[in-house]
Amino acid sequence: MSELPQRQTDIGPPHYEQFLHPVIKKNYGKWKYHEILTPGSMVHVSDTGDKIYTVRVASPRLLSTDTLRVMADIAAKHCDGYLRFTTRNNVEFFVDAESKLAPLMSELKAKGFMIGGIGPGISNIVHTQGWVHCHSAATDASGLVKVIMDELHEYFTEKQLANRVRIAVACCVNMCGAVHCSDIALVGVHKTPPRIDDTNVKNSCEIPSTIASCPTSAISPDPAKKSVKIKLEKCMYCGNCYSVCPAMPIADPINDGIAIVVGGKVANLRSAPMFSKLAIPWLPNNPPRWPEVTNAVKQILNAYIAGAKKHERVGEWIKRIGWEKFFQEANLEFKIQHVDDFTFARETFRTTAAFKWTT
Amino acid sequence: MDKEELKKVIYDLVEASTGKKKLKQTDILKKVSADKGIEKDEVKAALRELVDAGTLIFTYFGGSYIEIPPKA
Amino acid sequence: MSKKYQTPLLDELKKGAFPSFVTEIEKAAEHSDMAADLLGLVELSYKERMTHWKHGGIVGVRGYGGGVIGRYSDIPEKFPGVAHFHTVRINSPSGFFYTSDAIRQVCDIWDKYGSGLTNMHGSTGDLVLLGTKTEHLESIFAEFSSRGWDLGGSGSAMRTPSCCVGKARCEWANIDTMAITNDITQHFQDEMHRPAFPYKFKFKTAGCAVDCIASIARADMSIIGTWKGDIQIDQAEVKNYKGKIDIQAEVIGMCPTGCMKMSGDQLVIDNSNCSRCMHCLARMPKALRPGKERGATLLMGSKAPIVTGALMSWVIVPFIKMEPPYEEFYELIGKIWEWWDENGKNRERIGELIERVGFPRFLKDLDIKPHPAMVKEPRRDPFFFWSEEDIVR
Repeated sequence: MSELPQRQTDIGPPHYEQFLHPVIKKNYGKWKYHEILTPGSMVHVSDTGDKIYTVRVASPRLLSTDTLRVMADIAAKHCDGYLRFTTRNNVEFFVDAESKLAPLMSELKAKGFMIGGIGPGISNIVHTQGWVHCHSAATDASGLVKVIMDELHEYFTEKQLANRVRIAVACCVNMCGAVHCSDIALVGVHKTPPRIDDTNVKNSCEIPSTIASCPTSAISPDPAKKSVKIKLEKCMYCGNCYSVCPAMPIADPINDGIAIVVGGKVANLRSAPMFSKLAIPWLPNNPPRWPEVTNAVKQILNAYIAGAKKHERVGEWIKRIGWEKFFQEANLEFKIQHVDDFTFARETFRTTAAFKWTT
Repeated sequence: MDKEELKKVIYDLVEASTGKKKLKQTDILKKVSADKGIEKDEVKAALRELVDAGTLIFTYFGGSYIEIPPKA
Repeated sequence: MSKKYQTPLLDELKKGAFPSFVTEIEKAAEHSDMAADLLGLVELSYKERMTHWKHGGIVGVRGYGGGVIGRYSDIPEKFPGVAHFHTVRINSPSGFFYTSDAIRQVCDIWDKYGSGLTNMHGSTGDLVLLGTKTEHLESIFAEFSSRGWDLGGSGSAMRTPSCCVGKARCEWANIDTMAITNDITQHFQDEMHRPAFPYKFKFKTAGCAVDCIASIARADMSIIGTWKGDIQIDQAEVKNYKGKIDIQAEVIGMCPTGCMKMSGDQLVIDNSNCSRCMHCLARMPKALRPGKERGATLLMGSKAPIVTGALMSWVIVPFIKMEPPYEEFYELIGKIWEWWDENGKNRERIGELIERVGFPRFLKDLDIKPHPAMVKEPRRDPFFFWSEEDIVR
């Protein structure tokens, strides 16, 4: 192998300034307003009168270097070599004149990119690693994103909603994707406790930290086996012990499934940020196309489309109509799992006699 | 305290703990600083030399710890 | 190249309109055995409905305690190409801006040593390189760091800070999110690369309360841009919005504090009752701009539900100027980390620690004056603590 260059440490990331389009650099901090031109393009206008046009395309987040090179080539050809990624895994291309928009967009289309994701629609799905790369995944993430966006892609490319609908997928309750404040979020859940491999616990796990990892104190020492035991009725299947001790696998292909939580948001617009709350406790983990899950997501989205007023997010719509009404409008069964018995339980009990009759 | 001597103290502490309780960086700084009456920053500098040399390594199973590297 | 494995289940995910991750893995598999074996492994996961990865926990680059996540297949004999499949986290530049040349540079290095697969970007905001072998880690680090790139954070350390697009392309940026993020990253290089905290610590910076980076939901320290003073109104532009939008219904009627009204042709805002939620500015960007005194609100403590429930960040500093050299900010962060180091348990996030010992104790220990902006409402019970100086002896 050829000689390696000299490594450096603690230099931090490259400074962002070298990656800014000249118009962006010149007008940094001087932007006056923006207008959405199409669901995939917008213009920002500066106090100086300069304009920067952005075209957004979808990506599956998992990208090959081949596709990245295609993006780099398109940016080099049309955008003076500048591009950016968004927090929701989309890609943005910049041009400094309206006349450059059409050639850019037609090349993007020709190369198979899906243009959209701007404004009140569905702007891609943030997600985690799933079976592609994670040791604790209860389901796949990339696959769920693909099948849901296949069903809902028109809300990316053309159709508009009352407001943005932020969808997220987390392949286990660790929720690396911070899905807990999304309009609609899917999370991989377990239904059965971890299985203890006593020999491996003894060899590869630190008993005190394994015990400490359990939020419900269900794990206790088993001195005879130099291992641990689980009080099954206390286990809530979070899998936190497995993160600390690999000898306690919790994956269970038949019983692992997908929960759907709804009504969360992070923006402060109109109302305070909200957590997502449980809509469906469990749906079967049914790859490769998860029909039960895509149907449920569409069912919830359609209820929102039918009921929401302009600019209302899913959570704001539900807050206005009430959760009891939400279950009716979305045609979802209210089950025992919907009633909280954990940290926030007391805040969720209905302490009023005023509520809506639902069927 | 001489730096090489300090490095030995740190290494011995990690070695004595191996298989019993994994030590975090902060555990080492607190313990050595208290035992020897020296500043945490001084312990940290010595620990950094040990890690830079590969004598000790960071591990990250269920938290980040300082450990002796496994025999290859 | 002919297919190494039959993948009937994954092939189903090449169908449909949305871009497919399977197609991406197949493209990489054209020139990488690792990516080819990944296809086989993931197909098996789809068949068995179970993951086939094991957590690593040891591998990294010399001197660092983070930036590399060890990953191994649990069936290496079947798929030797992914026996090792480690992740490398490259610290992304602020705002995720790149040039074509920078992207090509990343691709060139990665094609040489890895699977050719990436995440643009990981959830925390790193440029994620997916899948390499232990023996390549030092080479990858040398190739990247010699060209000005560094690794991101992992483990019980400061994680790669991230931010919204900010002043680069947004009229609502009250603070320079990209400069702040870059400064924090450079300021705390040791805290990022050599894990010394009880658990992870994330900084996320949003230019305004729209919070496009979701800082309030997933940052231990959420820096959210805001302003003091009156919203700047361009009354001529207000008039131009008439007919385009229903100002009464869509703007005034949806104001959560009811602090706006029309007086003839003029839009009037009672700024003393405005909570700066951003709704009116977002509806009428041409007519309304934030007030002139800019700064940030600092909120702390958010995290995902694992294990005793999710937390959202809450206010600890209602208003702070976020301008270089950020002395007041760094002094506060130093105090907070010291307090966490003294009091936190292993794997306890700062928000969980504050919840466990009590927010009043955090405020007392850090000598922060209580302010009504810090709570939604005061406490409901009479069981509060007094200090010695409150008692008559």
